[in-house]
Amino acid sequence: MDISDNLKTLARKSAGTGLLLIVVAAVTLEATSLIQYFSSQRMLKQEASLRAESELRSTRNQIMDIVDQAEAAVHNSIWITRWCLDYPDSLAVVARRIVEENPSVMGSTIALVPGYNKKLPLFAPYVCRTADGTTELKSLATEEYNYPAQEWFTEPLNYGFGYWSEPYIDEGGGEVLMTTYSVPVMDDAGRVAAVLTADVSLGWLTDLVGNVRVYPDAFSVLVSREGKIMVSPVEELNMHQSIQEFATGAKDTANFNVLADGMLSGKAGNVSLKQSRRERLFVFYAPVEKTGWSMAIAIPDSEIYGEIRRMSMLVTILMLVGLGMLILILRSAAKNQLKVSQLKEKKDRMENELRIGHNIQMSMIPKIFPPFPERKDIDMAATIVPAKEVGGDLYDFYIRDEKLFFCIGDVSGKGVPASLVMAVTRSLFRTVSAHEKSPQRIVTLINESMSDMNENEMFVTFFCGVLDMTTGHLRYCNAGHNPPLVLTDKIEFLPAIPNLPLGILPGMSFQEQEMDLSYDNALFLYTDGVTEAENLTHEQFGEARMQDVLRMRRSSQENLEAMQKAVADFVGAADPSDDLTMLFIHYLNDMQPDETERHLILHNDIQQIPQLADFIETIADEIKLDQGLAMSLNLALEEAVTNVILYAYPEGSDGLVDVEAIMSKDKLKFIISDSGKEFDPTAAPEADITLGVEDRPIGGLGIYLVRNIMDSVSYERTDGKNILSMTKKL
Amino acid sequence: MEVIINKEDSVTTVRLVGRLDTPASQDVAQHFEPLMSDAAGTIVLDCSEMSYISSSGLRIFLSLRKAAASQGGKVIVKSISDDIRQVFMMTGFLNLFEIQ
Repeated sequence: MDISDNLKTLARKSAGTGLLLIVVAAVTLEATSLIQYFSSQRMLKQEASLRAESELRSTRNQIMDIVDQAEAAVHNSIWITRWCLDYPDSLAVVARRIVEENPSVMGSTIALVPGYNKKLPLFAPYVCRTADGTTELKSLATEEYNYPAQEWFTEPLNYGFGYWSEPYIDEGGGEVLMTTYSVPVMDDAGRVAAVLTADVSLGWLTDLVGNVRVYPDAFSVLVSREGKIMVSPVEELNMHQSIQEFATGAKDTANFNVLADGMLSGKAGNVSLKQSRRERLFVFYAPVEKTGWSMAIAIPDSEIYGEIRRMSMLVTILMLVGLGMLILILRSAAKNQLKVSQLKEKKDRMENELRIGHNIQMSMIPKIFPPFPERKDIDMAATIVPAKEVGGDLYDFYIRDEKLFFCIGDVSGKGVPASLVMAVTRSLFRTVSAHEKSPQRIVTLINESMSDMNENEMFVTFFCGVLDMTTGHLRYCNAGHNPPLVLTDKIEFLPAIPNLPLGILPGMSFQEQEMDLSYDNALFLYTDGVTEAENLTHEQFGEARMQDVLRMRRSSQENLEAMQKAVADFVGAADPSDDLTMLFIHYLNDMQPDETERHLILHNDIQQIPQLADFIETIADEIKLDQGLAMSLNLALEEAVTNVILYAYPEGSDGLVDVEAIMSKDKLKFIISDSGKEFDPTAAPEADITLGVEDRPIGGLGIYLVRNIMDSVSYERTDGKNILSMTKKL
Repeated sequence: MEVIINKEDSVTTVRLVGRLDTPASQDVAQHFEPLMSDAAGTIVLDCSEMSYISSSGLRIFLSLRKAAASQGGKVIVKSISDDIRQVFMMTGFLNLFEIQ
């Protein structure tokens, strides 16, 4: 129990350790993945910002190339314009040259400041590129256009240096996005004389900016100095709405305003715009110098973090799956451990029960040897060595009325079922033999009981014997058991009719046999565990070896030990295959050598009784008995003989009563036999001598006196004779 | 066996001489028959000369004792030998009789 408790605790502890392990693993994994997630996020954002900035720079550079080209074209023409101021007609030539030499310049004008040339209050020749690639000369000095009021004209004059106009849609030239660079031109005297312009088509901007794709879903926006949206993925907005206007209607207006302010103030920076609960838009912006424009690249955060989010999702799932599996593994491990400990407990309990079973079994059979230390006429030894904890072999013996009742048996099968049948058989033997003296009757009655209740088809080979201790007369009955060995001056098998084992056939008749044992004869009973003991090469111990072991004359106990050792030596390392059971009975009735016999034969006549007194007197003289004992023996003998005369022989019939006295040093034995009808005086109930006068029955004292005077009394019916043996120790 | 019966007033003395074995009991039983039918007084069984008694003898003693008991008399067993006392003890008769 202690061990199993400890195991349980251990199982619980290990389950607890498992839980702790899970928690630690989970926390570690979670922390690692969080750290990884955030550091990756930071790195990704950094990378996105780097990529956006580099893209912004590259786009800006491309824009600046064109802008510079246009500016250079204009600036390079200032000196010739100044030179041509006095010859207004040549100004158109200058403008045409600007257009023709600069592919990005769609049109150019040189507009004179009103009043500079007295003859020409308004003068502005305009050369523009046509669809077929040639140039066309127009005049902007029209009433309705009123060029001195136009921004491209006023602004450079106001500022005094080059000015990039707000982009505009050129309605005349095919709805093209345009911007105009204009510079004031001074004459040699330093007076402002004209404004020289170049119209730069911004159609390429749409492609250039539109093609900026840092990430597949990222997009770029270009706004003008004033905030007008020049290029954006949304066509309707372009040149129609300003970023400030857009900001008011956008989500996350606050941050959008920051963005708008940042862009309009010509700075570089980045803003994060919240689009929805999960979506943000990272906007990186930078100014495009000279033009006053600002370009922004917007990247949805899902673009930046998409991969890492997918990865972290995957990691989380993997982690959860891993944790789940860890939990399952630990739980099943804990369960298994519990199961193992439960199995162990179960096994322990079963072993314990088997051990108890073994003890109960062993307590059923006599196992104190020598069993009858006070007796000189018998020397016995017996042993059972079960192959398993409990076995199906049995032996039993006891002495009643100077008769040794003994048996040996072997239940078919092994283990617990066999042991139960063994216990039943042994109980039946004791119960039945308490009233029966004939082995044949004992065996028959046990067989009846066992056949009746034998539902499990188990049977018992059984040998039962009854040895008359005084005469050495052995009666026995075999029920399918191995014939015992009888040791006289030689060793041979007791002639035993096999019969059927017990429990097979109800109503089966068994045959009884008999023989006489003399002083120093012996019986060796055994189960097939002895003869069929196998060594590693599956050779059997056999009957010959068994007989050999018994050739040396030894005490019963020594014989058994020698046999056990011989079997063990023979079997060697092989597993014991069957229970090993042996019973050795050494008959040592020492009356035989120096005994004297006296005979008296009486007729069945009460009047012959006084002859017994003379008979006893002779014996008393012979073995020097005192008078009191002689009188008691006389009394016992008279009662026994009277019984025979009165009950064994019906009145009027004629018969003899044989009285035999066998005298030895330490005992006197009477054997009274007759050929009358069966009469067993020992079967009479005991007289109750404590009863009062009124209750006291008149009869029943005879056999009572016999039992009280003699040390042992036994009756048997043999060959149609009643034989009563009585012994008195001297 | 010799049975000598001497009746003085209400006391009947029965002297038993010899062995009271099974065949003797059959004679003694006949001698006892008149005593059994008139057992109201005191019956003294003088056993000083009785050397042996068997169970049939004991049976006669018991029958007499039962008759006396039913008639209000009593039976005194007198002068039994040690060996016979042993038999009386063995059979519980010491408790059934007044022994003198």
